[in-house]
Amino acid sequence: MTDSPPLDRPATPTPDGHTLEPWEVFRQEKEGDPMRHGGSVMAPDPELAVHYARELFGRRQESVRLWIVRRSDIHDLDDVDLLQPPLDRSFKKPGGYVMRDKLAAARERSGTKKPKARSR
Amino acid sequence: MTATAQDLLPATRNALSLLLLAMADDEFVIGFSDSEWTGIAPLLEEDVAMSSLAQDELGHAQALYRLLAELVDDGRNADAIAFDRPPEGYYHARLLDHPRGDWADTIARRFLYDTADSVRLEALAEGSWPPLADLVGKIRREERYHLLHVGAWFERLAAADGEPRRRLLDALGRLAPDAATVLAPLPDELGLVLAGIADATSDELEARWEARIRPTFERLDLPMPPPARDPGRSRTDHSDAFRWLHGEFTAVRRLDREATW
Amino acid sequence: MTDPIALDPVLSPTERSRLPFNEEGRSHDQRFDLFEAHVTGGGKVEAGDWMPDEYRTSVLRFVEMHANSELMGVLPEREWLMRAPTLRRKLALTAKVQDEVGHAQLLYRVAEDLGKPREAMFDDLLAGKTKFHNVFHYPTRSWADVGVIAWLVDAAAIVAQQALRDSSYAPYARTMRKICWEESVHIMHGRDVVVTMVNGTAEQRAMIQEALDRWWGPLMQMHGPRSDRAKDRDIHWRIKAKTSEELRQEFLSIYVPRVWELGLSLPDPELRLDEATGEWGYTEPDWNELRTVVTNHGPKSEERLEFRRLNREQTKWVRDTLLAAPGVAA
Repeated sequence: MTDSPPLDRPATPTPDGHTLEPWEVFRQEKEGDPMRHGGSVMAPDPELAVHYARELFGRRQESVRLWIVRRSDIHDLDDVDLLQPPLDRSFKKPGGYVMRDKLAAARERSGTKKPKARSR
Repeated sequence: MTATAQDLLPATRNALSLLLLAMADDEFVIGFSDSEWTGIAPLLEEDVAMSSLAQDELGHAQALYRLLAELVDDGRNADAIAFDRPPEGYYHARLLDHPRGDWADTIARRFLYDTADSVRLEALAEGSWPPLADLVGKIRREERYHLLHVGAWFERLAAADGEPRRRLLDALGRLAPDAATVLAPLPDELGLVLAGIADATSDELEARWEARIRPTFERLDLPMPPPARDPGRSRTDHSDAFRWLHGEFTAVRRLDREATW
Repeated sequence: MTDPIALDPVLSPTERSRLPFNEEGRSHDQRFDLFEAHVTGGGKVEAGDWMPDEYRTSVLRFVEMHANSELMGVLPEREWLMRAPTLRRKLALTAKVQDEVGHAQLLYRVAEDLGKPREAMFDDLLAGKTKFHNVFHYPTRSWADVGVIAWLVDAAAIVAQQALRDSSYAPYARTMRKICWEESVHIMHGRDVVVTMVNGTAEQRAMIQEALDRWWGPLMQMHGPRSDRAKDRDIHWRIKAKTSEELRQEFLSIYVPRVWELGLSLPDPELRLDEATGEWGYTEPDWNELRTVVTNHGPKSEERLEFRRLNREQTKWVRDTLLAAPGVAA
């Protein structure tokens, strides 16, 4: 995220009774890229939210696509116990498999050499 | 024995090793059993979730077996304790002798187990033996997700009219009589309370558990699990279903116990 | 196979898009030509873009077979989940199979956004109308198979998947990047299982060699028969970038030396690298076997499909529960 977590504050009313609320904007920088969070705009409805998102995040041709989502439609999860549970999970990660010594032992036993490094 | 274990009186050490074995075997058996859902759960997304729960339990079992290995210090490592006993040598609660069954069986069994385990862990969380208190702290943080996920499914099945609720009631009919075995008294547990390792005996834990789950059972109009019948044999006399599981998890290891796999 | 006319784009069509083929006002032929120029020029396609039926059907067929393979690929390894000989291996294998299910989920989602519902894909798979990769039609006989599959079958798959990371269909390309990262851990796990056994007892080494002898044939067939690059429509549409032979050569050049490094042999006397050309020579794989197997006449094809049919029936009530009442908050 490029800014701090969403704040729980109520939407701001405009003089004619509509409410302004925050809309999060996700942008795609170039073709094929994933959507990345760019920031947010305040707007009373989807149409203006889209226009403002374009102004803030697209007026310089810096995006090829935008997604505009009401902040209140986003479910935020930042619970450390769910996302970073404390016990070892190295068996799911590359760092859990250090094989240098085992490979050396296998080569020694069978009298073979290490394969040449390939340039891809 | 390890430095930390030296601080403990022999009687406390014995009681503690039984507690660790009970907890480790509980996590190992339910973890192994529920890992069977991997690849065949009702929904792809749920498959991934249930597999995580099973892996967490196995991770807890591994950590508990390691602690036990340090405590008893008899040359066995965690794998040897986990895998190399005959079926009669396992000390898990009879609730976990029931097979995984269908989705309702699994959810019912998990709900009964996770709620009881949560009470057990709470009683150990401020204990006087740091290695266990530390580990329990970590396990509890991971178990939060289990209670959320399993609790949501329990509610969903109970609240749905027709087949889901009927299946849940059937499952509870079979499993609830053995639910209290998770918190059945362990030998010399009073010693653990006196040593400050546990903050209550099993009778008190069972009462806490009943109080904890009663509001949910009443709200969902489900019959409360009865007290354990034959509490002295809550962790022995294992089922054919467990013997089958034992046959499976020892199948490769039995080929050569001394080999490194 | 599903009638392409019946596939509707998931997102609504646009009036004016950066990509001219998306514009409603143009004729079909104009849109086709613009689309073809875009894709063959290296351009990317998203789920909501207009696509010619040929492109949509081709991507769908490709992704669907991939998704099916992840789903069916779970079954050979599942048998050994309950038999893992140490806690760490048990955790690693469970996590690996979980990842395959996760990959199936990602790929079925990509396919769904092309217009075919998940249940329809399951229907076609279980009725034998769509296919899954040859290697998942064979039995597993020992713990050594677990190591060999996780190492070399996943390696052959990753060679293909890495070449798809720049696919013209962007949702698929992005999914491939995630999948490749996860598969790389599987390969390490598999290689670790194999090396550990090779360094172990004589019986363990023999078990690995026996598994390797059995799996080599299907592995050599896995990337498929040689095809003419110029006639390959999936390459034309940039859905994939490399031919079967290119993938096979890449697989051989990385993994054969690593197998030989361990003192293991491979059951093909013709297998050797021509230093001059840099090409690997090998005995021509049995393409009849491949054809027989992928049309669901392999040793385990029917048994595994039947297993999945039964499992799907038995768990239907749970899915129906999710679709019925509104969700109860967690």
